[in-house]
Amino acid sequence: MSRYSLADLFASALWRTVGPLIALLMALGVSGILIVMVGADPITAYGAMIVGSVGSVDALATTGVRMTPLLLAGLGVALSFRCGVWNIGAEGQLYAGAIGATIIGVMPVSLPMIVHLPLAIIVGFIAGALWAAIPGYFRAYRGVSEVVLTLMFNYVGIQLASYMVDTRSGPLGERGAAYSQSHLIADSTRLPILIPGTSLHAGLILAVLLAIGLYIVVRYTTFGFRLRMVGANPVAAAYAGVNTARQIMWVMLLSGGLAGLAGAAEVLGLKYRLFENFSPGYGYDAIAVALLANNNPLGVILSSGFFGALRAGANRMQQTAGIEVSVILIIQALTVLFVVAGVLVGWLASRRARMQTPRQEEVVYAD
Amino acid sequence: MPIDTAFVTDWGTASIRLATPLALTAMGGVYSERSGVFNIGMEGMMLSGAFVAITTSYFTGSVVAAALAAMAAGTLLSLVHAYLAISRLANQIIVGAAINLLALGLTNFLYRAIFGATGRERVAGFPQVKLPVLGDIPVIGPILFDHSIAVYIAYILPFVAWYVLFRTTWGLNVRAVGEYPQAADAAGVSVKRVRYLSVMLSGAMAGLGGAALSLGAVRYFTQGMTAGRGFIVLGALVFGKWNPILVALACLFFGAADALQLRAQTFGFAIPHQFLVMLPYLLTIAALVGFVGRTVAPQSLGVPYKSEAD
Repeated sequence: MSRYSLADLFASALWRTVGPLIALLMALGVSGILIVMVGADPITAYGAMIVGSVGSVDALATTGVRMTPLLLAGLGVALSFRCGVWNIGAEGQLYAGAIGATIIGVMPVSLPMIVHLPLAIIVGFIAGALWAAIPGYFRAYRGVSEVVLTLMFNYVGIQLASYMVDTRSGPLGERGAAYSQSHLIADSTRLPILIPGTSLHAGLILAVLLAIGLYIVVRYTTFGFRLRMVGANPVAAAYAGVNTARQIMWVMLLSGGLAGLAGAAEVLGLKYRLFENFSPGYGYDAIAVALLANNNPLGVILSSGFFGALRAGANRMQQTAGIEVSVILIIQALTVLFVVAGVLVGWLASRRARMQTPRQEEVVYAD
Repeated sequence: MPIDTAFVTDWGTASIRLATPLALTAMGGVYSERSGVFNIGMEGMMLSGAFVAITTSYFTGSVVAAALAAMAAGTLLSLVHAYLAISRLANQIIVGAAINLLALGLTNFLYRAIFGATGRERVAGFPQVKLPVLGDIPVIGPILFDHSIAVYIAYILPFVAWYVLFRTTWGLNVRAVGEYPQAADAAGVSVKRVRYLSVMLSGAMAGLGGAALSLGAVRYFTQGMTAGRGFIVLGALVFGKWNPILVALACLFFGAADALQLRAQTFGFAIPHQFLVMLPYLLTIAALVGFVGRTVAPQSLGVPYKSEAD
C-alpha cells in the first residue's frame, strides 16, 4: 500500500512540471533585465524570438531542425545522469558520430538508400559510443572520474574532426575548398526532408521515436531498472547482485552513441557535409536539456523543443533587436541554476515536512 | 646536434608564461577539492576573470583594480557554486557546468555590448619585471626572471598554499572536512564555513588566473579564450595529488606542452597542427588514466554534507 496520499502525489507531480517552468520564466526575466541594461527592448527581443521560432511554418521547421541534435544528445546525457554517470562529453561524442556518418556518406560506393542511410546512421552511433568507451571503461573498471576525462575528449574530438576535413591534409577534406569541409555525402545517405521548402528532416522523427523507446526501456525493462538502481544507490545495487561496472559501461556506450547520432543527423539531414566546428555547443546544451527534463526521456522531447526554439529564434532576435545570440546561453544556464536551487522549494518542503513527519516514524517501526 | 639556446629560451619563457594562469587557478582549486567540493566551474570563473580584467583595465587603466575586479568576479560566481552545492546540497557537476555556460554567455554578451562586434581592444597589461642580477643570467634569466608580476606571484603561492594546507589549523580543518566531514563536525569545525571559504578562495584564484591569461600576455579578450584551461587544472590536481607544490609542477608540465605545440606549429613538422593542439588535452587524459590507483582523492570529494545541526 502506498504511503503517500493522493494529494502528495499530485503536489509532487505538479512540482516536477511547474518547477522547471517557473525556473524558465525566472531565467527569461533575469535575461530581460540584461537586455534592458544594454539599451534594448526585451519585449521586442522576445517578440522576435517567438516569431522566429514558432511564428510561421518556416520558423517551426527551423525549431525542429535545431531541436533534433539537442533531443538526441539530451537523451544520451539524461540516460547517463539517470545512472549516476556524469557524461559531460556529449560535444566530443557528437563530433565523433558526425565523422563516422561522413565516412560512410562520402565512400565511393553505390548502395541503395535502404542500405546506405541506415549504415551511415549506425556507424555514427558506433563512433559516438566508441568515443565514450575510453572514459566509460576507466570510470567503470578503474574508478577514474569520468568528468574530466569526458571533458578532455570533447576538445580532442573537435580537433579530430578539424583534422579530418582539413583542406590540405585531412582524409575527408575537400582539397582547395575555402573552408575546412568534407566532400558532399551521397544522395543515398541523406535523411529525407519532411516539409518541402524547409530544412526539417527525418532526423527529428528518429529522435522522437528513440525518446519514446528509451522511456519504455528505462521504465519497464530489467536494463532500465538496473540503470535506475545504480543511479539511486550503487552500493545497494551491488548488494542486490547488479554488476554495476558493466551497467555503467553499457550506459556510457549508449549515451555516447546517442550523442553520436546527434552529430550524424546534423551531417546526414542538414549540412550534407562535415564542417569544422559545426556544432555551436549542442553537446553542452544537452546538459541543460536533460536537467530541465529531470532526466526523463519523454521530458527531453519538451525541453529540447524549448531550447531548439530558443536557438531558432535567437537569429531573428539578433537581426531585429540587435541582441547577441549568446543571450540564449545565459537563459539556459540560469534555467538550470534556478531548477537546481529549487525556486519555491522552501514553501513546498515545509509543507511536505509537516505532512510526512508521522509517516517517517511509521517507516522506522514498520520493519 | 647543438642545443639551440634561442629555442630553449623561447620555449622555457613561454612555458612559464602559459603555466601561470593554470597554477594560480590550481592553488585555489586545491583548497576547494581538499575541502570536498568538486569545482568544474573554475573554467567559467577563469573566463569571467579574463573578461573582467580586460574591461576594468580598459576603463580605469589600473591593472591592480583589474586584478581585484577579476578576483571579485570569480568569487561572485563561486558563491553561486557554494550556495547551491553546499547549502542546497545540489549536484556539484551540474552546478559547475551551468556556471561555465553562464560565464560563456555573459562574457560574450557583455563583450559585444561594451566593445562592439569587431573591437579587439588592447589594454594596459601586467607590468613586465626583470629581476636585477638574476634576470641577466644567460638562458635561465629570461626563462625564469623576466616576466609579468603574475608569474612571480605564481612562484611564491604554491609554497604558501602548501604551508597553510599542511602546517596550520586552518589547513587541517580543510583536509578534515574533505576527508571525513562527520568527524570534523563532531570536533566542532563548521563544515559549511570551511567549504564556503575554500570554494570562494578557488573562485578568487580562478579569477586571478583568468586575469593572468588576458592581461599577462595577449592583453585582449576573445570569446571562450580559456579553451578548457580550467578543466586542465582539474587534471593537474589529480596529477599533483592535491599537493600544492606538485600541482604547480603539473601545471608547469601542461604549460610546457601548450608552449611546445604552439612552437611546433611553426616548425612545419609532418604532424598536422590539429594533433599538436590536442597535445595538452591528450596529456591530461594520459595523466589521469596513467595515475590510476596511484593517487587517492579526498575521500568526501563531491559528496554534499548535511550537518545534523542544520
